[in-house]
This record gives sequence, structure tokens and C-alpha cells, in this order.
Amino acid sequence: MEKRALKLSVNGQEYEVFIHPKTLLVEVIRDHLGFTGTKRGCETVSCGACTVLVNGASVKSCSVLAVQVEGMEVTTVEGLEQDGKLSPIQKAFLDNGSYQCGFCTPGMLMSATAFLKENEGREVTEHEIREGIEGNICRCTGYNSIVRAIDAVAKGTYKEE
Amino acid sequence: MINDFNYLKPGSVKEAFEMYAEHDDCKVICGGQSLLIVMRQGMVAPEYLLDIKGLDELRYIKYDEKDGLRIGATTTHREIEKSPIIQEKYPVLSLMETKLASIQTRNWGTIGGNLAHADPAGDPAPVLIALNANIKVGGKNGERTMPLEDFFKDYFETALEKGELVLEVHVPVPPAKTSVAYQKFNLLDSDMGIVAVAASITLNGDDTCKDARIVLGNAAPIPKRVKNAEELLKGKKFDEKLFEEVGRISYEESEPVADIHASEEHRRHLLSVLTKRMIKKAWEQARAVA
Amino acid sequence: MSTEIKELKYSTFKTNIKYSVINTKVHNVDGIAKVTGRAQYTFDIKLPGMLYGKILRSPHPHARIINIDTTRAMELPGVKAVVTGKDTLGIKQGIWRRYEELCDEQILPLEKVRYIGEPVAAVAAVTEEIAEQALDLIDVEYEVLPAVFEPLDAIKKDAPVIHEGVERNVNVTRHIEWGDVDEAFAEAEKNGGYIREDWFRCSGQHHMCMETRAAVSSYTPEGKLTVWASTQSAYYTQALIAGVLGMREGDVRVIATYVGGGFGGKFELDAAMFCSAVLSKKLCKPVKIVFTREEDMIASKRRTPMYYYVRTAMSRDGQLLARESRMFSNGGAYTGMGATALYLSGFFHSFPYKWKAYRYDGYRVYTNTMPSTSMRGFGAPQAMFCSEQQIEWMCADLGLDPYEVRRKNAHTECYEVPGQAFIQSCGMTECIDKIEQWAKSKGDLGPNRAIGISSCGFMSGGIFNWFDSPYSFSSAVVTINIDGTVELHVGCQDIGQGSNTTMAIIAAETLGVKVEDIKVHSGDTDHCPADLGAWGSRQTLMAGNAVKMACEDAKRQLLEFAYAEMGLNIVYDLDIKDRWVHVIARPERGMKYEDLVRKAIRAKDGQRIVGRGYYTPHRKGMISPAYSYMMQAVDAEIDPETGKIKVHEIMTAHDCGQPINPLGLVGQLEGAASMALGYAYLEDLPMDEGKLLNPNLVDYKVIRAPEMPKTGMIDIETYEAEGPYGAKEAGEGLTNPTAAALGNAIFHALGIQMKELPLTPERILRALREKKEKEANK
Repeated sequence: MEKRALKLSVNGQEYEVFIHPKTLLVEVIRDHLGFTGTKRGCETVSCGACTVLVNGASVKSCSVLAVQVEGMEVTTVEGLEQDGKLSPIQKAFLDNGSYQCGFCTPGMLMSATAFLKENEGREVTEHEIREGIEGNICRCTGYNSIVRAIDAVAKGTYKEE
Repeated sequence: MINDFNYLKPGSVKEAFEMYAEHDDCKVICGGQSLLIVMRQGMVAPEYLLDIKGLDELRYIKYDEKDGLRIGATTTHREIEKSPIIQEKYPVLSLMETKLASIQTRNWGTIGGNLAHADPAGDPAPVLIALNANIKVGGKNGERTMPLEDFFKDYFETALEKGELVLEVHVPVPPAKTSVAYQKFNLLDSDMGIVAVAASITLNGDDTCKDARIVLGNAAPIPKRVKNAEELLKGKKFDEKLFEEVGRISYEESEPVADIHASEEHRRHLLSVLTKRMIKKAWEQARAVA
Repeated sequence: MSTEIKELKYSTFKTNIKYSVINTKVHNVDGIAKVTGRAQYTFDIKLPGMLYGKILRSPHPHARIINIDTTRAMELPGVKAVVTGKDTLGIKQGIWRRYEELCDEQILPLEKVRYIGEPVAAVAAVTEEIAEQALDLIDVEYEVLPAVFEPLDAIKKDAPVIHEGVERNVNVTRHIEWGDVDEAFAEAEKNGGYIREDWFRCSGQHHMCMETRAAVSSYTPEGKLTVWASTQSAYYTQALIAGVLGMREGDVRVIATYVGGGFGGKFELDAAMFCSAVLSKKLCKPVKIVFTREEDMIASKRRTPMYYYVRTAMSRDGQLLARESRMFSNGGAYTGMGATALYLSGFFHSFPYKWKAYRYDGYRVYTNTMPSTSMRGFGAPQAMFCSEQQIEWMCADLGLDPYEVRRKNAHTECYEVPGQAFIQSCGMTECIDKIEQWAKSKGDLGPNRAIGISSCGFMSGGIFNWFDSPYSFSSAVVTINIDGTVELHVGCQDIGQGSNTTMAIIAAETLGVKVEDIKVHSGDTDHCPADLGAWGSRQTLMAGNAVKMACEDAKRQLLEFAYAEMGLNIVYDLDIKDRWVHVIARPERGMKYEDLVRKAIRAKDGQRIVGRGYYTPHRKGMISPAYSYMMQAVDAEIDPETGKIKVHEIMTAHDCGQPINPLGLVGQLEGAASMALGYAYLEDLPMDEGKLLNPNLVDYKVIRAPEMPKTGMIDIETYEAEGPYGAKEAGEGLTNPTAAALGNAIFHALGIQMKELPLTPERILRALREKKEKEANK
């Protein structure tokens, strides 16, 4: 039950935290490092509000022990913008009204980001986009505006600045 | 709240065996996608947690035309789903994976963890049993291999002895003219199945059934073979009436438990429908393979 | 209806004004905060020295509290306080403040618990974990009482008494009647009309806001309390907390800048707000309480489950003659907002048709289950499920065209619902026409697949003041800074529906500036005027009118100065558009808005330009100042072997007056469709002896992206004289038609009549079996 030091990189910055081994990744991100963009909405790994990228792959950070990501690269919603410039998917969310209350939005953006990266350079179907975000619940939008935003980025409507 | 535990992180499989043997009241975590939920509910509260997620020795997908497919225990669901060789040689495995929970869970969760968790509603087991897979387990005192079918003992209970880990899944090369189909019934695409059916059909040259394997998911405490139905199919020709009859056997032999999502009767009914459909689908697919 | 009248209507009502901002695509004013993770919700608030609270909940559906011993819990290191009903003296509260008997909920009860999950004690500790451990150390002695869970059982003579003195557990009744119903039925019978009666059962539904109920309370030694709350009405929260703590409203500040969803479930006082405030006041430390998903599901509130008996008379040619309905709702343990749902369900059950004779008797019955309350649609989705299916079946029984029957009986503009409401704008007929065209253009859909329709209407702002607010329903203050930027202070609450953006659009349009010139301040009772908040589809119309009035006030002050500055003949009219102040007849003649502001402020002795506006409905009937209308079509396919439903498409023709924010409108339509579709075939709250069986997001199913069908909208534009720029509600009413339309699709696809929600595969297969048996017996 001893606390241990954990080194990880979040949004390109190295951090060291001192934690109980039972600490979840989402707790390190939110409570220890203060990246409150990442949310939590359930206790059953269902809602996806806590989705972040670990070494580029999307995971639900409430389902991962923080000690398991020792030395890995974590990306949260705060890591999507670069020097104040929004990423293409963030811009597409604005243009398509792909959020309402905004609570699921950070997790949704991370799933969308991972999906777009994995499918870079290939044409994606609407159904693939839907499956790409099926781990994320949005109670407000009905998803279709999110699907349109991802589709627009996949079609190259938005360019990285 | 997760109860406190001591964290053990082995650097190798050998070390994992030793650590596991040394510590009583020790639970193994790999992807932890199911384990952390029950730990949070306080249902599992071990003194030690042995983390094998980082054991890359067990993270592989190997294929050999004679030996078949070998998947290491710490391989993630997503790696199986995306593996070109699996997509080519065992497409049903890949398809099954695309419907297993969400991408996030597949990215972190592992095949070994899934099988060791032994949830009767788990997706991989029925498909792998239909594929005649074996499982390799091992500990400090050595390794052993058994048909995956014999691995499951009861709800969330397996043949793993104290100190043993799941090491590998082995899927033999399927016989000629064989195909496997799998479907689960659920209301949300990403849900576990209310029930599920995997069916493997091997055909003779004259389009009669040479061999069949039918496995029901979430129809009993463990994945359930319907051997009477398999026998009935052997030697028979493609016949929708026969498939109905086979579905009826699934209906009768299954032992599903009612819950808020479906009554026992409804589950049996769904099993009969899916059995019929999967046999037909596997049969049609088998005709097309070499 | 002849074409001339339609054209006349359009020429009378539709304005030809070209708007600069209204109905153009703009980004939400809080968009960047939300897509970058900067938006701070109550869930994210962390204050120095903050403690964490946890709530101990009743395991019994009905029990007397004999004793609560907190000694052991207090001894746990890290525990700072434990409070129970003794600390709060069992103060009863409720949102129906005008009616003392309906303020029946003690959030920490003194004498007894009435549902599983009801709070009995709250702990504050230095960590959440210690607070949770302390819960196990509180010893509560209960005397378990007999309990009752269903309204039709609870209303029986010998049922357990849930609230002392409440006979047969009937919490509230509501009678709505016009015309001579008995005579109309008698006459229908005499004339060979068709009379049909059905019983329906409508399930509950959980709001399932992604942010669970959460509050951070901080009481400081000067006697002031600040509460960050996930609420739909900062003002209601402020007033209710002040009430229960015996403080002055002005000494309580409620902050709700970002709220992670509401849907009708977050404007009563909840246990997170109440317990954190009580603990904080006791300790003079900030206390944070966040519900787990399970707590949120078992012990917040839900859409009201309803049993409906519906009897309808229709002439052989499709004239609706009379209806009488009785409804028994499962009120759960307390009143909450449920009393309003009882009324609205009965009222909208008549919509959108011109009944000559109509009678509704609603009974809200207490049971030992979690309280039911308002939820998006406010009783109307249940009412429409019953009404619109029965009408469809009657059309089929009589061989009548369901579109024609609906058209024949539909509300039209300037119609009075006898004694209840006056309808001004109404595009119902056009909605029916458009959906009929769309559905017919789809052609044959193949086996086991069909389109089902449902029409309905909804209020555009409830005229209800059971809260007894002494303030205007909505207020706004607009301040223009020296550089022309605008501070807009509103009391309306943005819970994600985008009211801040709607208000910014209305302000920019009225002042003649751009949306980026407007800074919206909302969700803070210290700085914003009081407003009833986000419920009853009221903000676009009510807060919108207040904003428009405030901006007109400010603009008038600017233009007064402009007249003098420009030396104009007083017969000329001035206006501002796109930051250009100009003579309307000669738009090129004018001056820059920024220059005008700078000069005007100088001329006002250095005072910033301030405009005020407010809105309270007067002489607008019993329900609402205006009504939205719609018809929805659901294209669904059912697997007749498994009962599984696949929804292919949802198309809605929608009259919401003048759309203000087109992006927001589509969002409301799609969001409502997903929530209403969930209600129709997925979402349910099954209980066993009052215990919820699916208190998590694994077993409680909500629509996810792959299940969500294609959606389309046909906008029927009308102009609503009572709304700002002709606007009406859009968003809540859209939840009403979907369950009925899906039910009707199933009816046409498989020939079965579904009388129970949700429309599960098992129920569908059972209905199919019964149909086959019936046919075999014939």
C-alpha cells in the first residue's frame, strides 16, 4: 500500500507524481495535475467522458491504473490546441454545433482525434465514424452533429494550422 | 472506492510466476477493464495485485500455415481486430472483436484478461471454442495446454490453478471448407450479448455437413456446446427446416438465467433464432472457402 | 382549408425583414471554452481547504427512523462533521412554495424515510474516501414499515400511508374539462360514431445528465454562503437554500456557469446542494458533494411513470367528437415538480386537436419509490404515446386516412382551447402536409418496415408561478462600454441548450452589433438579475423578450443622441445594423456605432449606457403565451423473429416560429430525437420492492452513436406575435412525438398495438404471438 513515484508525460510535459498504486489515471490527470478538462460520468467504464490518449490510442482513464502508464505519453483535451490554435476537430465541433452542455465533449474529442488519426488518408463511412465514438455517451446532441464534424475533418475540410 | 493493495510489477513471465506463487490473496491485472469495475464495487479486494500488462513477452500474434494462430495473453483486443493475418485467415475473430465493447476498452483490454475473467457473456470464448482453440496456462511448476472448452468451470471460474496465468491462445488451422459465424443479440451495438451464438460448419465436397460446432454464449454458466445439434447436422444437406430443428435443440439445451434485459423464455427463443441463422450463414460462407 | 386562407396567413404573419444575425450560423458563445476543456463545471471546482461530503442513504423503501448514532463515524480521523435530520430539524421544502402541503420533502428526514436511497445523514471529511468510510460507521436504527410501489396499489383503501393525513396516498389531482363530455359521447353513440377505449402504461426515464448532481458550498464567517451548483435555475436554488437555512436570499450566492445537462431534473433543491450547504454552514469550510452515477440514478428524480385510460369518440368520417381520460401517475415519495407534470400531461393529451368536449382526471399518487418530476416534455411524451396511437388505430379501424383525420381536427391559428389557452401562431396543418408528402415520397419500404407518425404541440414558456417568485419571470440588463462592447446580464440559465447564444443573437440583432460584441453573463445570482431559469421551454420567449426590451432601451438612448448629433429632421427613422448607425431611408447616411457610443457616454456625464428589460406573461391563458407545433415521422424496421427494432430515419416538420439560432435548432431536434427514441424502446427503470435494478450505465441503456438514425427537419416558419422576433420554443416539445410515432411504425409494420413502454423486443414478440393466436381463433 506504499505510495510510489510515477513518471508520465501529459501533453508533452514530463510530470512526476507520488501516488497510491490504486490511483486511477483519471485521478492523476484531474486531481494531481489539475487537467480538469477530462471528466468522469460513471463508475462502470460506460460513458467515455474520461477518454484520453495513451501513446496515441484512446482509453477510458477511469479504467486504467495510473501505475500502468509509467513512462507513457498521455494526451488530454488540453493537449489538442497548439499555441492557442485549435485543432481541426475542435474547429469542426464549433462549426457543426457538436456539443451542447459540453460535459462529454473532451472525451468525445479524444475519441474523434484517435479515430481520425487511425484512419488518416483513407475514406471512412458514416457507420465507421459512429462506431468510432460508440464508447462515448452524449445525452445532449444525438451524435449526428458530431458525426458531421468528424466527417468534415476526414474529408479534409479543415487543415492543421 | 478501490481498497488498498500492494502492487507487484514483474519484469518477466518467470518473475511473474514467482511473485504469483509467493503471494497469497493475490489477483492478476492485465488490461483491468472488468477487474477495476468489480474492485471499485468492493467485490474484489485482494491484498496484492500482480500487474502483467507490461509483459511484452506475451504480447504477440503469430501465424504458421501448419500450426495455426498463436495469440499471447497480453495482446490487446484491438491488436487482434486490426491484425491483417487474422483478418485474412480468421475473419470471424476480427469481426467479433469489432463488436466487443468500445474502442477504448479494446485498446487497453487483453485477450488473456478477457478469458481469465470468464464472464459467460464474453464475446471471444464462443468464437474461439467454435474455432477449436486451445489455451495455454502456466505457473512456477510448469505449463499446460487444454481445449478452451475445458477451461471454463462456472460463472467467473476457470481451470486456472493457484499461481497460474493465462499465457496463450492457440487456434489450429481450420479444416478445408470450414467457416465460422458469430452473432450476439443486444440492443446497443457495443453491449455484451443478451445471448450469442457461434457456429462452425465444415462441408464435404458434395455440400453435406462434415462437421459442426455450435457454441452458445451467455446461455449457461459457461460457453455451451450443443453437441446433439452438431450430431444432427452431420451428413445432412443444406435444409432450412433442419436448421429450425437445430435451433430448437439450442432452445431446449440452453440454461439461460432471466434478468431485467430478457426473460428465460425470450433468451431461449433468441438462441434458437440465432443458432438457425448462424448455421445457415456459416454454411453459405463455407461453400465459398477452399 | 382553402389555399387563399393559407396565403393570407403567410402575408399577415410572415415578416419580410432581413436579419443580420438572427437565423444565421454562429458559433456558440461558450464554444471555445467547451471544446478546449476550459469550461469549469461544478464537478471541477476545487477550493482551498475544501472538504468532501458523502451521503448515507436509506436501504428501506419505507421505515421509521428510531435512532441515528453518529459517534463512531465522528471518531474516524479526518471526519469533520456528520449531520442528520436533527441538525436541520426536518425543515420541509418544495418547489411549489405557494402550497404548503406540497412542500413535503425533508432532505434529511427526521421521522421516516419513504424511498430507497433517501438521504438520512451526510458526512464531511478531508477526503472523499474517508467520508465514504465514515458512512459505514453511522448506525441507523429503523423500524421497517409496509411499503407500496405502484400507484394503482397505493390508491387502495388499505394501502400503507406514506404521508400522514394524505388519504389513499393521493398527492395531487387535476381536473381539466370543457364542453359536455357525457352528452358528446351519448350523441356519438346515437349517431353511430366510433368509440374506443384503451389502457396504456408509460414508463419512467432517467434524465441521465452527463454531469451528475454536484454542489460546492462555501460558508464564510461574515455570514455569507456561496454555492456552486449544477442547476437549471440559479435563482430557485438561491431562494430554496436561503429558505431551508433561514438565511436572507441576498446572503446566498449561487454560481452555475457551466452545467452538464439538466433536462428537467435539476431545478429542485437536491441533496448535494442541501447537504453541502448545511455542512459548510456548520464548519465554515467549503464542502463539495458529487453524486456517483448510482446515487444519481437511485436518488435523484425521474420522468413520471403513468397509467392512462383513454376513451375517444370519432365520427365515421374522422371528426374527433369527445375524449375522456383518466391518468394515475407514480409520484414516488414526494411532490417535487410532479404536480406540474400532472397538469401538463392532461392538457397536452388534448393536443393538437380541436375537441368540442374533453375531460381529463389526473391523480398523482405517492408511492415508496424515488420521486418523479419534470423531464423534457413534462408529461407530454406519455400523453402523446397514448393519444396518437389510439387515434391511429381508430383511423385504421374505420379505414380512414390518418393524415386527413389529423388535418381535419388540427389546431389552427387564433384558436382558443376552451377556457385554457389561446393559440396565436400555428403551423400544424402545414406540418401534416409536409410530412405526408415526405412519407409518400418514400414509396414501398418492404416487409416489416413502415413509417409511423405523430403530431403534437408544446408550450413556449410555462405561465406557472407556484414558486411564488416576487420577481419578473425574466429580466435582463444590458450595459454598453465606451468601445461599443456590450455586457449582457441575464438570469436565464444555460444548461447546454445554448440560451446564452440565443440571448447574444437577440441582443446583437436588436442593438445592431455583432455577436462577438456581446459578452453574456449568466448563472450567478450576485451579478445577474433573477429569472425563473431553464424549464418549461420558457427562456427563448421570456428571457428573449427581456433581452430584446433591454437592448431596445439602450438603443433608444443611443439613437436619441444620434438624432441630435446628426441634426436630423425628426420625421426620419434611425437604425443600427452591423455597427452602422444610419437613416433607414438613406442607409449611406450615418455614423459608426463605436463613434456614437463614445460620444453618447460623454454626453451622459460619463455614464455607461444601461438598458433594462423584463418579461412576465399577462392575460395569456392558463398555460403558455405561445405554442410550438410539429409532426414527426419515424421509419422503422422490426425483425419479426427477434423483435429487434432498427430505426432508419426520423423526419420532423416543425413550427417553432422564427428560428433564432439554426445550429442550435438542429442540435435540439437531434438531441430530443435521441432522448425520445431512448424513451421509446430502450430506457426503463425497473424496480423490485422499490429497489432500482439498473442503477448504472451498463444496465440502463441510452442511445449511442451507432443506434442514432438519420434525422431531418422541415422548418415551417410562422411568426409568433408574442415571441421575440416571432420565435417560439424548440427543443422540449420535440421529445413528445417520438414514442408514439415509433409505436405507430410498429403498428403499420407488423399489425400489432403496443400499449406499454418501452417497446422492447420481448413485448413486440408477445404482441405478435397474441395476434397470431387471435387470428388462429377466428
